[in-house]
Amino acid sequence: MEQFEPTIVAFCCHYCAYTAADMAGSMRLVYPPNVKIIRVPCSGKVDTLHIMKALEKGADGVLVAGCLEGDCHFKTGNVKALQRVTYLQGYLEEIGIEAERVQMVTMSAGMGGRFARITTEFTEKIRELGPNPVNAGGSRLAAS
Amino acid sequence: MITAERKPMDEIMGMIDGCGRILLVGCNECVTVCAAGGRKEVALLAAGLQMASMKKGRALDVREMTLERQCDPEYVEELAPHIDQVDAVVSMACGCGVQEVARRFKKTPVYPALNTKFMGASEGPGIWAERCQGCGDCLLGLTGGICPIARCAKRLMNGPCGGSTNGKCEIGNDVDCAWHLIWERMKELGIEDRYEDVIAAKDWRTGRGNGPRKILREDLA
Amino acid sequence: MPNQNNTVLVIGSGVGGMKAAMDLSEAGRDVVLIDQAASIGGLMTRLDRTFPTNNCDLCTIAPNLSENARDKHIEVLPLTQVSALQGQAGDFTATLTRAPRYIDMEKCTACGECHKAFPECVRFEPGLDHRAPTCMRYPQATPQAFSIDMEKCEDTAALVNACPAGAINPDDGERTEERQVGAVVLAIGAELFDPSGLENFGYGVYPDVVTGLEYERIMSASGPTGGELVRPSNGKPPQRVAWIQCVGSRGINREDVSYCSGVCCMYALKEAIVTKERFQDDIEATIFYMDMRTYGKDYELYYDRAKKTYGVRLERCRPHSIISDAASGQLTISYATDASSALTTEKFDMVVLSTGFRVTENACQLARVLGIELNEHNFARTQSFSPVATSRPGVYVCGVFESPKDIPETMMQASAAACLASKNLVPVAAGNGEAELPPERDVSGEEPRIGVFVCDCEQNIGGAVDVDALAAYAGKLPGVVLSQSAGHGCSREALEKIKAAIVEQNLNRVVIGGCSPRTHENLFQNTLREAGLNKYLVEMANIRDQDTWVHMNYPEMAMTKAKDLIRMAVAGVAQAQALKDNTLPMNKDVLVLGGGVSGMNAALELADQGHRVYLAEQAGHLGGMALAVRKTLEGDDVPSYMADLIEKVSQHALIEVITQAIVVDHFGMPGMYKTGFQIGPRMYYRQIEHGATVLATGATHNVPRAYSLGEHAAVTTQIELDSVIEDQPERVKDWGQLVMIQCVGSRVPENPNCSRICCQSAIKNALRALDLNPDMRVFILYRDMRTYGFSEDYYAEARRRGVIFVRYETDTPPEVTPDGDKVKIAFADPIIGRKLAVTADCLALSTGMAVNEEATEDLATIFHLNRSLDGSFLEEHIKLRPTDLSIPGFFVAGSAHAPKNIKECIAQAQAAASRVLSMLSKDTINLGATVARVDPEKCATCLVCVRACPYGVPFINEDRYSEIDPAKCHGCGTCAAECPAKAIELTRFEDAPIMARLEGLLERSA
Repeated sequence: MEQFEPTIVAFCCHYCAYTAADMAGSMRLVYPPNVKIIRVPCSGKVDTLHIMKALEKGADGVLVAGCLEGDCHFKTGNVKALQRVTYLQGYLEEIGIEAERVQMVTMSAGMGGRFARITTEFTEKIRELGPNPVNAGGSRLAAS
Repeated sequence: MITAERKPMDEIMGMIDGCGRILLVGCNECVTVCAAGGRKEVALLAAGLQMASMKKGRALDVREMTLERQCDPEYVEELAPHIDQVDAVVSMACGCGVQEVARRFKKTPVYPALNTKFMGASEGPGIWAERCQGCGDCLLGLTGGICPIARCAKRLMNGPCGGSTNGKCEIGNDVDCAWHLIWERMKELGIEDRYEDVIAAKDWRTGRGNGPRKILREDLA
Repeated sequence: MPNQNNTVLVIGSGVGGMKAAMDLSEAGRDVVLIDQAASIGGLMTRLDRTFPTNNCDLCTIAPNLSENARDKHIEVLPLTQVSALQGQAGDFTATLTRAPRYIDMEKCTACGECHKAFPECVRFEPGLDHRAPTCMRYPQATPQAFSIDMEKCEDTAALVNACPAGAINPDDGERTEERQVGAVVLAIGAELFDPSGLENFGYGVYPDVVTGLEYERIMSASGPTGGELVRPSNGKPPQRVAWIQCVGSRGINREDVSYCSGVCCMYALKEAIVTKERFQDDIEATIFYMDMRTYGKDYELYYDRAKKTYGVRLERCRPHSIISDAASGQLTISYATDASSALTTEKFDMVVLSTGFRVTENACQLARVLGIELNEHNFARTQSFSPVATSRPGVYVCGVFESPKDIPETMMQASAAACLASKNLVPVAAGNGEAELPPERDVSGEEPRIGVFVCDCEQNIGGAVDVDALAAYAGKLPGVVLSQSAGHGCSREALEKIKAAIVEQNLNRVVIGGCSPRTHENLFQNTLREAGLNKYLVEMANIRDQDTWVHMNYPEMAMTKAKDLIRMAVAGVAQAQALKDNTLPMNKDVLVLGGGVSGMNAALELADQGHRVYLAEQAGHLGGMALAVRKTLEGDDVPSYMADLIEKVSQHALIEVITQAIVVDHFGMPGMYKTGFQIGPRMYYRQIEHGATVLATGATHNVPRAYSLGEHAAVTTQIELDSVIEDQPERVKDWGQLVMIQCVGSRVPENPNCSRICCQSAIKNALRALDLNPDMRVFILYRDMRTYGFSEDYYAEARRRGVIFVRYETDTPPEVTPDGDKVKIAFADPIIGRKLAVTADCLALSTGMAVNEEATEDLATIFHLNRSLDGSFLEEHIKLRPTDLSIPGFFVAGSAHAPKNIKECIAQAQAAASRVLSMLSKDTINLGATVARVDPEKCATCLVCVRACPYGVPFINEDRYSEIDPAKCHGCGTCAAECPAKAIELTRFEDAPIMARLEGLLERSA
């Protein structure tokens, strides 16, 4: 059987996580191609609804990536993002979706290595969880 | 405002079991302010219901609308063009809104997505607390602006019970003793001498004691 | 009449010249940028990658090249030299001589037909191919027109006919013109040493012996082999490559120069790493070196990576010669190391000669024309406390022509030269008019007509994905009406094509499949604007940094992901709306933090050019670390310089010195910051309003617990020894033996970086001690002597005067034991292979500098600044923007950035001043267009936004809905994410484009 290739959306804040992702590239660190980044000015901009919509539309996992605690460019956006992710995890459990499909992570702009490691680990975790249950019948197994 | 909380997903899913298409209706008043039934929560619940259905391998079409106020017939009328296309309405308003929708659209089931809780105030971001029970005969003028009916677990009218400890109610540490608050507030106002004025036995007919209530303003009717 | 001039002549258009020109033009100055070459760019355009990030050079510099040509304040004159400079600072008349290009620039379309018709004549690879007449040096050459070397052309008529535009003019001749300029910046760089004259290395005889620059060209995607690493002799990949360091530098032999070229160690390490990283990690890379000089910021970490991660082999020795082994076709090197007295012989497939910088006769001639003094090595002479001023007032120098240096230091000096040059000009006029732009086309209501342009960025993207196939795929996406590959999308030529396509195809949205919007979005936004579209109608799909660089070795993965990213961008841009930037008035005052050499110099330059400066110092007095220093290596008197500097700063009408000041809070945005201080012993609070901030908070003297420092009176630090020599010479006269230990507390796991200044300090103190007491024996125990640049001469002098240098390894460090009022130092001598012991009257430890952890941590937290791994402030770009910090309006100078000597600190202080001048020359602050907007119809006045905003901006207005002042909104989007009525949208990041991106990603065709 072909290996399940999850689709993962990462909402990355411009100042830290997105920069860290660029840094990982310039350091030529290899991480799985499953993670696709949507840039936001701050992790505090990430709406619970965006995460829900991503999952509803079939994403197998969602990362919300912000600055390290205390380092948010906008003071507390990352703290709020974490609160929302935690709330949403409870909601997902209610619906019967694994809470681990959504995760909040933090990193500084210079942490290209951390970005690569986190995305690798998260992809592995989602791969173990299997396809998002809303993708009935696992039709999203790697076709390409 | 009237406060409410979303019902558990299982309960909502149970109500709409068998529906292929529902109209999910929010309200831009109280339930928006208490983050229970505004546009955002409507969208979140819509996504959640769809995901829960897809997980079960069923298709569910959720249409989203948020009315300015669900407890006014003119606003409720905005649902009319859509009502025939759906199997059920799920209302994210308080109980008033749910009933107004049900009253208007007799042939379409209307289900509540919220549990309406109480009339309350916002104590801080994300926190709402009960303040009023709508007794119909306000005595806040006698109690330093703090209502013992809504805020005392026993609705005592003349001072605390023996369970008041360090300003907290005996039912739990996070509940303030209403009579302690009244005492503190009266001290602030310099009217602590009126604390021992006896409040007469309450006539509960102004409240629910006399059946469902109605207000009529003849000049406006 | 002096001081009526607003123009600076910048000579030389390498990175230094470009940087100076850009700083000046940003500050509203006019620049005439001349170069004797046919296009601008200098040496950096010929490199493959730069250390220590291993970024592609062209990608790093190309936006600057294009930007340069676009800037209305900069007039670029290639093929031009100065033939006379008359007058004085503020009022020079420069005579410029322009060599014929033989091409009419107005007619030339850069079609390349002449180049095609005469392929045999094209010089494209400097140093590897000597043919010429039509020459465009690299793909992004600016100006884009070609040039012809008529002398080498045999059939003029055929060449003229080859041009379909009729642009070739064989009768073109030399032209001379005069220009009035207020100041001159010399940024001519230097050439690299040509080792042809050294028979022992066989360069020019054995094809597989190449110089470092030629090796760069071989590896470069724009080079002769298209980026394939192959041996010039047989076109096959090498298996064993060796580098020989210091070829022509640090020598006393024929053709050698005595100074250190400063950059070769790093470039050899880089070439070795890139060889392993990009080509084959089983290629053996060996570097033969004398001292590994990785003294720049984070360079020591790079050196460690080369050894540990990449397995680059380092052999400490200087091989005498290279012999070709006819039988194997390989190159033989025989060498001796400390390990054995016998010679080892090894065979290599390629040998790279690490050649350094040389001043050309051309440069000496230019110096004579300009009337500036040269030093003994023919570099422009500058002074210890005046790093970029030449001997002629009004003429400044930066980069390698001042002394050998790498790119970041060149950039610092270039900005410094720009700062000093502008002092000779008229005060800058307020509100420099923006360049005229075509009116913006209203695209609202139009169906999306999206143009997709996919960059190949040479191998960076094109090496991993088929760019044409990707463009073809994008062409089928909804809303896309045009999709094509764009080559180097950021090149001038490509930008012109994009502009033309926007107009011709009536595009109303653009997607660039290329690199990161963090670095290039601005460039493409400007391009859209110039084509008459709102600048927010472009979106970049980051297929380089976040795809092809990551999945370089998995082309299939890279392609699938690239398609995903392009699809997301197309879906997102279809929802993009035209937006207007918000502006506010600029506060022109400057806060300088730190009252040491760097802070005071930055403050003086800024105040001299009309800005009010608040100079805040944590200590009770000005001076900083330099107060402890008595003499420079060159012998200049530091205390008298400091006294003079403190006097000037204290007396300046526009500088307010605030001592005992601690930063406690900070608000605002670039151009209007507010910083709160607690001041004085009573800690009273004061808030200062300022437009820009210079951080010159310095470092601390490192005081590690090692070698009985602080426990035994005879053990001291170099900084203390410096004072003893100056203040108590009689003590030094009594000493019999003086021992110094280098790298104490530096280049160790706790503090991995090199402190840069300690080798110079040790040599300085050794020589001065010997001046006082010539009979004394001086030992310096070292790991690598890092006397870069001209300080190498002092190292040579120290050896000549009998200082004994003994190397030690970290696994066998010297041992120090007390011996009465003296100390005994035992150490292993690797040359004679024996353990020795010396009893010293004084043991001076080279402890260097350490990051002021507490201060930088606090300031980084308060200002939200990023820090490097060592804890110092992290610059915006390690190569090109070493003085800018990650937050606009913040600049760093001196040892708060990295360890530096006084001269280097002054240069960076002047550079920071220049960067501030550029920023504050504008009268308004552009706030961008990312702000929260409330839809009053939807607002439920719930107060959630009022409570959620980290800056307290939203309020419920008289009309009973939430109002958010765009001038105060910071654009974080927290309110939009929390609004329960979905009444708030953050412009540029509205729900619609985010949802569209999700749909674009997830609704892939099965």
